[in-house]
Amino acid sequence: MMDLFHRAVMASSRLHPGRETVSAFVYLAPALILFAVFTFWPFLRAVQLSFFLVDRNTFEPALWFGFGYYLRAFNLGETALGDDWIRSIATTFQFTLMVVPFTLASALALALLAVSKVKGIGVFRTIYTSSLAISLASAGVIWSLIYSPNLKIFETILTDARTALPAVALMTVWTNLGFSFILLLAGLQAIPKDLWESAKIDGAGSWRTFWHLTLPLVSPTLLFLLITGTIGCFQAFTQFKVLIDSVGPDQSTNVLVYALFTAFWAENNYGFASALSVILFGLLLLLSLAQYRLDTRVHYQ
Amino acid sequence: MKKALLYLFLTLAALAVLFPLLFSLSLALQGETVSPRILPDFTRLDFTVFAQVFAKEPLMGRWIFNSWVVSISVTAGVLLVSVLAAYPLALFRFRGQTFVLFLFLSTLMIPWESTILPNYLTIALWGWKDSYQALIVPFLASGFGIFLLRQAFKTVPAELHEAAVMEGCGRSRFLWAILVPLTKPALATLGIWAFLNTWNQYYWPLLVIDNPVWRTTQVGITAFRSTEIASYNLPMAATLIVLAPTVLVLFAGQKQLVEGLTAGAVKG
Repeated sequence: MMDLFHRAVMASSRLHPGRETVSAFVYLAPALILFAVFTFWPFLRAVQLSFFLVDRNTFEPALWFGFGYYLRAFNLGETALGDDWIRSIATTFQFTLMVVPFTLASALALALLAVSKVKGIGVFRTIYTSSLAISLASAGVIWSLIYSPNLKIFETILTDARTALPAVALMTVWTNLGFSFILLLAGLQAIPKDLWESAKIDGAGSWRTFWHLTLPLVSPTLLFLLITGTIGCFQAFTQFKVLIDSVGPDQSTNVLVYALFTAFWAENNYGFASALSVILFGLLLLLSLAQYRLDTRVHYQ
Repeated sequence: MKKALLYLFLTLAALAVLFPLLFSLSLALQGETVSPRILPDFTRLDFTVFAQVFAKEPLMGRWIFNSWVVSISVTAGVLLVSVLAAYPLALFRFRGQTFVLFLFLSTLMIPWESTILPNYLTIALWGWKDSYQALIVPFLASGFGIFLLRQAFKTVPAELHEAAVMEGCGRSRFLWAILVPLTKPALATLGIWAFLNTWNQYYWPLLVIDNPVWRTTQVGITAFRSTEIASYNLPMAATLIVLAPTVLVLFAGQKQLVEGLTAGAVKG
């Protein structure tokens, strides 16, 4: 198989040594085909299905539904039978606002601690990185037992509408900590030593050094973590499935991807699920554009 | 004095970060109990629990095997597809190059969750439910992988490539004999990244696998938890067994992964 592939490449470049185009596309073919089948086609198909009532058995679009599902997702139109779908979008934002700032702050604190060069610091660095190896599903199982009522530490944390979302957020912060920590530590280590020293000589206090020297210099890393963290929160599903496995007390943990899962899996409402997935795409696109604009303003060394 | 304070803070932070893991180890070793405590009775630790997991859930071994098969296949496939696609993007000049670059870039913008429904329907239509290929094939092309390797390949001067091709070195020979050995660190980074990501997948295997035999570990342990709801030691032990390979991969490849990832993130 590989051999045949190589011969095709060789032949194509020997025939027209000046024309790189043919051989380029031979190399690109596997990626292009895979993306066409598993990314582009399904995405366009989701956009199409979001405008139709979809047949549950053949998965084919059956009846034009216009923007009906989109109106429903934003609580507009006459189909909102007490459903509160816009709340899913709001809950997703709420979840992101709980997770991302807390992750960045605690990872930066850990990185500032671990940047000092003392004996045995390697052990501490490894410990702080450890959650990078722990999957959301495993973390979910561990935390579901920490939160378990039988343990009498947090008896009602997952069943109380006020605490359920923060509880899932706390578990998510823990899972994200390793990745954020290791990147921030690398960012801190990249700051030239003489900069710290000249700040010390100038008599800048440690608080001032932090605000005026350290923070601006790690801001590109912080921005990167802000973007990846936000995208991760908008796509969050696993922790909600494992910890809550429902829309949560008083619907308080029904984030967008969980609502999508329910519409798709439990209700077989393929059109509505598709509309939710297009909305997810739109929200992430808007966020990326906003953050791209922010990116051009952040200080680069 | 100042040093002692630093160590105090370092230790407190370490305990906070490790708490969930230490706690799960503590629960796993307490034996079967309906009212577990935070710290176990150290005189009566029950290490047989790890063996009990395999006795209680005969499919556990199969799930671990499935996860290895799928993770290694995806890792190898992602490396191959990314190497092939990154090569012309980095070192050729061809018609439509900008367009292809734009296409690959746009795959980074489309979240996997937005395509999950039609992808599920495709897999169902092809009769691929409950199979390895359902867990492997959709993940073989990775926009992240292609861009990571394109950056790495670009560090090789284009003149070297042109000269080699002019001298009669075939393109594929240049790729496998020169380019790939020169960029091993980037390949290793991508490999570790792909392995960890695949091993930790949950949503997709949950959808396309009905028959427990084809489950991967991540879905397996959560199923295990719900069937063993009364006891704590078995689900915790099962979770720790599943964690072991990724922790090992991370510790073995930590430096590599960090260097590769930070090269992209810190330099912006």
